[in-house]
Amino acid sequence: MNLKKYLVRALHRLQKGPGYTYKELLVWYCDNTNTHGPKRIIKEGPKKKLIWFFLTLLFASLVFWQWGILINTYLSYNVTSSLSIGFKTMKFPAVTICNANPFKYSEVKPLLKELDRLIEAALERILQPTPGNSTENMSLPLDLELWNQIPLVLIDEHDKDNPIILDIFETNQTAVDNETAVDSRANVSKKKYKLAVKLCSHQGSENCTYRNFSSAAQAVTEWYILQSTSILSKVPLHERIRMGYQAEDMILACLYGAEPCNYKNFTQIYHPDHGNCYIFNWGMDEEALNSSNPGAEFGLKLILDISQQDYIPYLSSAAGARLMLHQQKSFPFLKDQGIYAMAGTETSIGVLVDELERMGYPYSDCTVNGSDVPVRNLYSQYNTSYSIQACLRSCFQTHMVEICGCGHYMFPLPEGVNYCNNEDNPGWAYCYSSLRSSIKQRQICIDSCKETCNDTQYKMTISMADWPSEASEDWIFHILSYERDMSTNVTLDRNGIIKLNIYFQEYNYRTISESAATTIVWLLSSLGGQFGFWMGGSVLCLIEFGEIIIDSLWITIINVISWCKGLKQQRARFPDSPPTVSELVEAHTNLGFQPEPVGAVPGAPALPPEPGTPPPNYDSLRVQPLDTLGPESDAD
Amino acid sequence: KITARLKRTLPVRGPQAPTLSELMRWYCLNTNTHGCRRIVVSRGRLRRLLWIVLTLSAVGLILWQCAELLMNYYSASVSVTVQFQKLPFPAVTICNINPYKYSAMKEYLYELDKETKKALETFYGFSEGKSKVRRSVDDWNSTGSDFFEQIPLLKVEDFSRTATELHSGQKRKIEGSVFHKDSSIVNSGDSNDIIGFQLCDANNSSECALYTFSSGVNAIQEWYKLHYMNIMAQIPLEIKEKLSYSAEDLLLTCFFDGLSCDKRHFTRFHHPLHGNCYTFNSGESGTVLSTSTGGSEYGLQVVLYIDEADYNPFLVTSTGAKIMVHDQNEYPFIEDIGTEIETAAATSIGMHFTQSRKLSKPYSDCTETGADIPVENLYNKSYSLQICLHSCFQKAMVESCGCAQYAQPLPAGAEYCNYKKNPNWMYCYYRLHEKFVKEQLGCQQICKDACSFKEWALTTSIAQWPSVVSEDWMLRVLSWDKGQKLNKKLNKTDLANLMVFYKDLNERFISENPANTLVILLSNFGGQLGLWMSCSVVCVIEIVEVFFIDSLSIVLRRQWQRAKKWWSGRQQGRAAQATASDVERQGHENPACIDEDLPTFTTALRLPLPQDSPLPRTPPPNYSTLRLETAFTEQLPDTLELSQH
Repeated sequence: MNLKKYLVRALHRLQKGPGYTYKELLVWYCDNTNTHGPKRIIKEGPKKKLIWFFLTLLFASLVFWQWGILINTYLSYNVTSSLSIGFKTMKFPAVTICNANPFKYSEVKPLLKELDRLIEAALERILQPTPGNSTENMSLPLDLELWNQIPLVLIDEHDKDNPIILDIFETNQTAVDNETAVDSRANVSKKKYKLAVKLCSHQGSENCTYRNFSSAAQAVTEWYILQSTSILSKVPLHERIRMGYQAEDMILACLYGAEPCNYKNFTQIYHPDHGNCYIFNWGMDEEALNSSNPGAEFGLKLILDISQQDYIPYLSSAAGARLMLHQQKSFPFLKDQGIYAMAGTETSIGVLVDELERMGYPYSDCTVNGSDVPVRNLYSQYNTSYSIQACLRSCFQTHMVEICGCGHYMFPLPEGVNYCNNEDNPGWAYCYSSLRSSIKQRQICIDSCKETCNDTQYKMTISMADWPSEASEDWIFHILSYERDMSTNVTLDRNGIIKLNIYFQEYNYRTISESAATTIVWLLSSLGGQFGFWMGGSVLCLIEFGEIIIDSLWITIINVISWCKGLKQQRARFPDSPPTVSELVEAHTNLGFQPEPVGAVPGAPALPPEPGTPPPNYDSLRVQPLDTLGPESDAD
Repeated sequence: KITARLKRTLPVRGPQAPTLSELMRWYCLNTNTHGCRRIVVSRGRLRRLLWIVLTLSAVGLILWQCAELLMNYYSASVSVTVQFQKLPFPAVTICNINPYKYSAMKEYLYELDKETKKALETFYGFSEGKSKVRRSVDDWNSTGSDFFEQIPLLKVEDFSRTATELHSGQKRKIEGSVFHKDSSIVNSGDSNDIIGFQLCDANNSSECALYTFSSGVNAIQEWYKLHYMNIMAQIPLEIKEKLSYSAEDLLLTCFFDGLSCDKRHFTRFHHPLHGNCYTFNSGESGTVLSTSTGGSEYGLQVVLYIDEADYNPFLVTSTGAKIMVHDQNEYPFIEDIGTEIETAAATSIGMHFTQSRKLSKPYSDCTETGADIPVENLYNKSYSLQICLHSCFQKAMVESCGCAQYAQPLPAGAEYCNYKKNPNWMYCYYRLHEKFVKEQLGCQQICKDACSFKEWALTTSIAQWPSVVSEDWMLRVLSWDKGQKLNKKLNKTDLANLMVFYKDLNERFISENPANTLVILLSNFGGQLGLWMSCSVVCVIEIVEVFFIDSLSIVLRRQWQRAKKWWSGRQQGRAAQATASDVERQGHENPACIDEDLPTFTTALRLPLPQDSPLPRTPPPNYSTLRLETAFTEQLPDTLELSQH
């Protein structure tokens, strides 16, 4: 009983809304809202009313349409870029210096001796068709075991459709289609012959591919790299480091700004392509050096010796130092970003740091530190930061380990895996070369790796001059030889010596940084602007509107309840027909200018506080449900 | 019937306020903008004045800010995106610096070379072999070539303005103007002779231009080139292609993306100044190669055979190759922006790809396709500024000289200049070129930038190649590659190694976006209107309605009333007219009415507003106002008439 009473009271209270029918509510809303349009609907004459009704509708739909566009714009997460350029004190880039040749030939000779003899003999046979010449070289038996693992073959393309494949050291020719006995050395010098590398999945198996080369030079280099990779992968790391160039032999002089430095300021790192590499200012152990002045006088000056006489002849045909500028604590990928410095010259490199700072998710799909990339970074063993090159190589190595069962010598190893070599993995070269040329594999890696958000490039302006000059050549060589070898003889020559100047340019940075073009503040002010522009509305207007909706819901509920009650009782208790919409509207608004309602005039003077205005209407509404509710509510 | 019904339901009524001041007052009280109401409501003059000033300044601010917004509408913001992806490999065009094999060109250039050698001998006392030159001088005398005589090299004594002619040795007075090719020529007191040549208008021999050079090297090269172009213009293209290097000649090895490639991957293209050039990945076969791995191993590696012994000694003085990295649709202007490649060295070129895009009109003055430029594109490639300038020059050349310049493609129906047909062309060309450089031809004004362009930033570095120890086997194997056509062993200065690769696969895309859209402009307007006056489009419509339509109709209505009154008064007589006009005039400004109640219209409208008052309405005045309302209704037929009128 108590509960019912409570409910009734609540209902009673709820009914004290602005109006008691939808029409009244609407009129009330239009009159009192802060948005500009609705007010005009009810305040003017009938024609203007119509115009204003459509105008208001039009403006409301415009507002919603424009809001849609604005929200869409916001959700597209655009960015604006700002560019700044100038000079400031910056960290001097880390400088990695390598020799183009990975190992001293004098050191690796014992390992590669067999290989060199093989290739020499093979070249002899290819280049000199007369059989008599080659016999003297054959005094020592060749290690054909090594050869047969990955043989070089000649392809006779005289007959385009039936190429004949000739193994260089074998007497019997294996033809792909038909066995035509052609003397392998008779017409070798003709252009129709091509060299190819034969790669088999297992030795002696039929599953072989021939890698064709348009040029013999390329074929020989490629073959030599494959073979030497297999041999060197068995050598332990410390041994490989020993065979490479030592810092004290390579870095003859060093000057940073006005301060002298020496090979001890360089961090040694073993690079599979280039052997021992030395990094200046890597920032691993000590703070990175700053440079606060532009110009060659304040940069790094180096004199290097690459001892070209000690190059492995077949492995690297280009001679020079390989160097690269990169960020502190990042791994140098010399094959991608490195440049050459030529022997016998002075190479000056002016540096401009080109930075791109980007916003991360959701503005662009980049990674801050690589932790959200699904590829395990194998280069993290060097303690270096994530980079896209590291990711791609790690990805390749992971695939290589999965498919071929061993790791490639050029990339770091995951735990518990060995480098590929011919003994343990006879089919590795076949596997590797098919993997390398597989586009699908590359695409997988490209898709799974993400670029870093902060992209730093070192733009270099490279210029060269002959060094040392003829006049100064003599004393420079003497001093450098003396300092390195403590000898009075000249142990250096033009072919081995390189001078490098690395310095900041006058403008040393160009930074493009991104900022969000559309922030939430922007969105709100734009939304507000649109709403204000068309209708003069604000958030409060929206709340008003929500309120009206709630009110109309209540009216619905009340109506439903009253309708249910009305089913039990008769409805025909009110003789007066309810007022029409227009009557209501007029009643609320410009009473003065309307023809007097028929019924209102006599009623109005009789009841001064309610002069033909809504109150009777309200009352009529209020009375109707209340009567049905019973006498208790009235008592309250 | 429908119109009648419409008229009944939607009667045309004029503004309800009878006078302008009433209307203003009504407007100020009822408008949604914030300032106006204050003006009316404020008590005291100072305060009202203050509010008027404030409101007006707010309006002024709004107008100013909106004008600012409108003026900045066409501004662009730049966005830089970096995408890591598979990149299309650019087209790489490779040329030998020397255009044609000198040995093959002998028969065409015999005369010219002889002349040049003779000039060298007479001016500098230099000769390759005395006897040979003597003989050639005799030869020359016997053959007697016309056009060398026309444009001989001259030795000019600057102050006396006399010139010594190369072969006749006679001095003659220079007529006409002197053009100096080098600006720093005037060395006062320097008695050094200056070498140059004189170009005369063939039709009017008194008009001559003398071109002089500070150095004989330049003079002789320029002079040689003039004659060379003249000779080459007469040789048909097929023969020129044969005279130049074939793909097998130029390319020794080729390696792309870890795979071997050969001449089939190269497209020949004949460049007028560089002979046969070969474009790798020209996209002519319909497919464009792409790279999915950066680094030197995965790019293009070629070894070029530069036959140094077969170079033309006067035309080119440097050895090597020229390469250019460009887009497949772009014409390689290799003579303008090519990179030179050294022999006996490995040149490694790391690329970094940047794509830029500008917004075209109205943001900036660039062209999307070049279709809106009035210059016909003579090159069979997509539009670029260079193409436009060259085409424009060629067009002007054909128009004013009657023949086309050799270095640029031929327009339809024109042919290359040569002496036999156009004896005047050199003079014409030099004059025209002078004009072109001084921007008098208008080409620089007509041609616009292209809106989008691709750029490959190149980092070039050089290493020694082949290295000392690998030189031996390398040269042997490459000689074998070259085959039997070449009898001699290759020399390392005949070879150049070139690597072109992507440093990384990051593509930078710099694009301009419109900083403003209509939506943003409108919301900025809205923000300004709302900030200063809480105004909206509704207010603007209100203002238009009140200040233009309503005020106008009130004024018109009054005029009409007055005219009617005057007319009826004239008909009725003087006495009646006077009273009527008095009544009429007082109808609205009747002090009695105002005394009786506040201005009718406004009070009537204000009535429903005070809803919060305990008394729901203030009815009695309400109803009394009804009486006044009749004053308006009286006017209704007038407005009706007015509208029908």
